[in-house]
Amino acid sequence: MLIPKEEQFKAAAHSERVTSKIGLALAVTFTVCFLTGLISHLIQHPPSWFFWPSRPVGLYRVTQGLHVISGIASIPLLLAKLWSVYPKLFGRPLVRSLPHALERLSILVLSGSAFFELSTGLLNVAQNYPWNFYFPQVHYAVAWLAIGSILVHIAVKLPVVRRALTRTAEAEPPSAGLSRRGFLRTTWLTAGVAVVATAGATVPLLRNVSGLSWRTNKGTQGLPVNRTAAAAGVLRADAGWRLTVDTRTFSLAELRQLPQTTAELPIACVEGWSQSAVWRGVSLPTLLKTVGSKPGTALRVSSLERSGLYGVSVLPGEHTADDLTLLALELNGEVLDLDHGFPCRIIAPNRPGVLQTKWVTKLETL
Amino acid sequence: MKTARLLLALPGLAALAWGALLFADYAFPLRPDVFGTAAWIVGAPVVNDALIAPVTAITGLALSRIVPAAWKTPVIAGTVATAVLAILAFPLLWRTYGTPPEPGLHDGNPALGLALTVAVVWLLVALTGFFRAHRPAPRQCPSHHA
Repeated sequence: MLIPKEEQFKAAAHSERVTSKIGLALAVTFTVCFLTGLISHLIQHPPSWFFWPSRPVGLYRVTQGLHVISGIASIPLLLAKLWSVYPKLFGRPLVRSLPHALERLSILVLSGSAFFELSTGLLNVAQNYPWNFYFPQVHYAVAWLAIGSILVHIAVKLPVVRRALTRTAEAEPPSAGLSRRGFLRTTWLTAGVAVVATAGATVPLLRNVSGLSWRTNKGTQGLPVNRTAAAAGVLRADAGWRLTVDTRTFSLAELRQLPQTTAELPIACVEGWSQSAVWRGVSLPTLLKTVGSKPGTALRVSSLERSGLYGVSVLPGEHTADDLTLLALELNGEVLDLDHGFPCRIIAPNRPGVLQTKWVTKLETL
Repeated sequence: MKTARLLLALPGLAALAWGALLFADYAFPLRPDVFGTAAWIVGAPVVNDALIAPVTAITGLALSRIVPAAWKTPVIAGTVATAVLAILAFPLLWRTYGTPPEPGLHDGNPALGLALTVAVVWLLVALTGFFRAHRPAPRQCPSHHA
């Protein structure tokens, strides 16, 4: 087989300047992706020192939307970056020294973990699971490998980046393919096309523009459903259903007689899609006062859903003190559909969708 | 410069170590599926270097030889955008391991979405190419000498 030599790659795309510019863009998108992912992880597995506010109501919608959008933008950027440095793969000798060997190994970790994060993330937003691991656990672990190897890589390459970006560009050798500027413009344009084609999952303005968004406008009561009652194995609650709040119980009619609050709040899924809706129900501070507890007390929320990971959630005090945190009975002016959690569900401002527990049957103060 | 490099490298090494610990937490005790995950991590760069990059090289070379100069940049950009759109559409189209559609999620028509998006991309390619080819005073491209 014919193996090319490093110096045979003459396209302008392989210049240091191009590599550095795309590398910097990738550093920005990966940092945004890592930090927003970390926020989402901490909200779902809060350590004792962590605090997440209940306002602004749409903050998580923005951070998780950014997580997915920056990940999507990284796909063309990573491919362009690796194409830009492709000739280095053919550099000989294969290993010049111990530091050189370590550098090559670190680049394998870097590109392996970066590809892993982008490919599993992309498959996960499409709810497509051609693997046997628990996605959040491995996606989270490899995220640290990716950001760590990126930081080390930038530290190693910083002199090269500075040289490439400060020195006035040397004249470009003629080549048959794209010019340096043409390659860079193609890269930015493609990243833009990728974002516009998908971001409608979370950006309302792009809702009818993004042809490859993984959400549509066909959701029940105008809102997408991530887990139907049938999928969760939940049957429609009958007249005998009661909500237990510590030692008190409420029928649905009794909940409807309590003062009702209406709020426009987004459902913001960890999978990046989000949508605002109008919810109506009993605010948590009202409910807690009715049973003689104080708003600001953390609550354990249990669902009629027995199977699955999301049958139980903990609502922090920050959220139970917020008047916009509802035990919702209505959605967009109608009685809550069974798929949206009938008879009642939690909808709190600024929280991931997986923690907005549906088919609530029990609330316990902690 | 030295300080900046240290300030990047030290947290980087710490993050790598923490990631390795978290990954070990998942990977041990070793099970067959762990090897699949490891193969995914190592395999992706191999697929890129052995498949994606050579295909990019050959396609780029072919296009830059076949396509007239004025059309070259828009046509290559359109081809790259089409390839990336195909990657983005792939998990929506190939559903062997996908969950069944839920109301409002994955119940759209990704094939139509892909076709329309690609059509818009190539419409822009055609417009850009047309205007470049019919510019009043065409600037000499360096590639003309190639």
